[in-house]
Amino acid sequence: MAYQNQYRQPQYNNAPADQGFLWNIFQRVDKDRSGAISDTELQQALSNGTWTPFNPVTVRSIIAMFDRDNKGGVNFNEFAGVWKYITDWQNIFRTYDRDNSGFIDKTELKQALTGFGEQSYRLSDQFYNTLIEKFDRQRKGQVAFDDFIQCCIVLQRLTDVFRRYDTDQDGWIQVSYEQYLSMVFNIV
Amino acid sequence: MSYPGYAGGYGGAPPGAPGYAGFPGQQQDPLFGYFSGVAGQDGQISAEELQTCLTQAQFSGGYKPFNLETCRLMINMLDRDMSCTMGFNEFKELWSVLNGWKQHFMSIDRDHSGTVDPQEMQQAMASMGYRLSPQAMNCVVKRYSTHGKITFDDYVACCVRLRSLTDLFRRRDQAGQGVASFQYDDFIQCTMSS
Repeated sequence: MAYQNQYRQPQYNNAPADQGFLWNIFQRVDKDRSGAISDTELQQALSNGTWTPFNPVTVRSIIAMFDRDNKGGVNFNEFAGVWKYITDWQNIFRTYDRDNSGFIDKTELKQALTGFGEQSYRLSDQFYNTLIEKFDRQRKGQVAFDDFIQCCIVLQRLTDVFRRYDTDQDGWIQVSYEQYLSMVFNIV
Repeated sequence: MSYPGYAGGYGGAPPGAPGYAGFPGQQQDPLFGYFSGVAGQDGQISAEELQTCLTQAQFSGGYKPFNLETCRLMINMLDRDMSCTMGFNEFKELWSVLNGWKQHFMSIDRDHSGTVDPQEMQQAMASMGYRLSPQAMNCVVKRYSTHGKITFDDYVACCVRLRSLTDLFRRRDQAGQGVASFQYDDFIQCTMSS
């Protein structure tokens, strides 16, 4: 399965993938021909650049994002969204993996995440250490593709919820105990 | 402001409780037997050793032994020195906290099936004093259930997580008012590392 290779460059970079091409892939990934791609099937189809299985938590996050009726998988229509999502992440990852190591190290991560530090959200050096510590399943001190996606998903969700409470946008929130639990418990 | 899980029933030893170092009775403490059996020279146990320890002490009783990830969460919950290991004092604290949770779980799991349903899980959380929003509660139930049921292991993982987050929040609530302030960087970091 070749998500990670440049096996066929799309003709126009921003054109949506050809339906026939997508259907081909869908059929190959949907091994039990159930008409929906499950977590397991998607996991088997994806590569993180190592010989270890793609992060199951990331797989779950992605399927959940596109599975509109909670069936625990994605049908062909939903799969188009999954495909684009993963392709976009691949492009981002390749952009920031400047030394082409297949991993994003702390320096590259800092550049990739500058969007999160905008306005008054200043980020300490320790911040990046914590992220890598939390998401780097390969234990290399750098993040592989699947862990990078998971890191960004969680960071985005936490940032979104933080922003909702930071009404004056000064980078500080004040919350009650119950608000705090409700904010974070389902994200991390 | 009294935080759930710290007074009476489901809490562990109150903060500042005297340690057991040098206490003459320590050697006879049956828990110490289990502990030192796995701990080795440094008197610390890792997540794997904790799993062994709890299994040998037959903590889970009729329930399945804890999975490794839950043991990691338990170590993390009490890991004050960030060593990813646990000493005997923490182990004793963990034991007493776990027992409280186990009693509570058993009181809900009336048919001794080793699982509870989502409704019962919600009631369990509420009766422990946790008041989460309905959406948060839904997410909790979804995340910790397998085939619509919550096992003892998952229930414990959930309690551990709640306790870690509560600890974290308490440390920032200096005035004990049930309110805390977070800067963005700090918010992300401490939430990620809980």
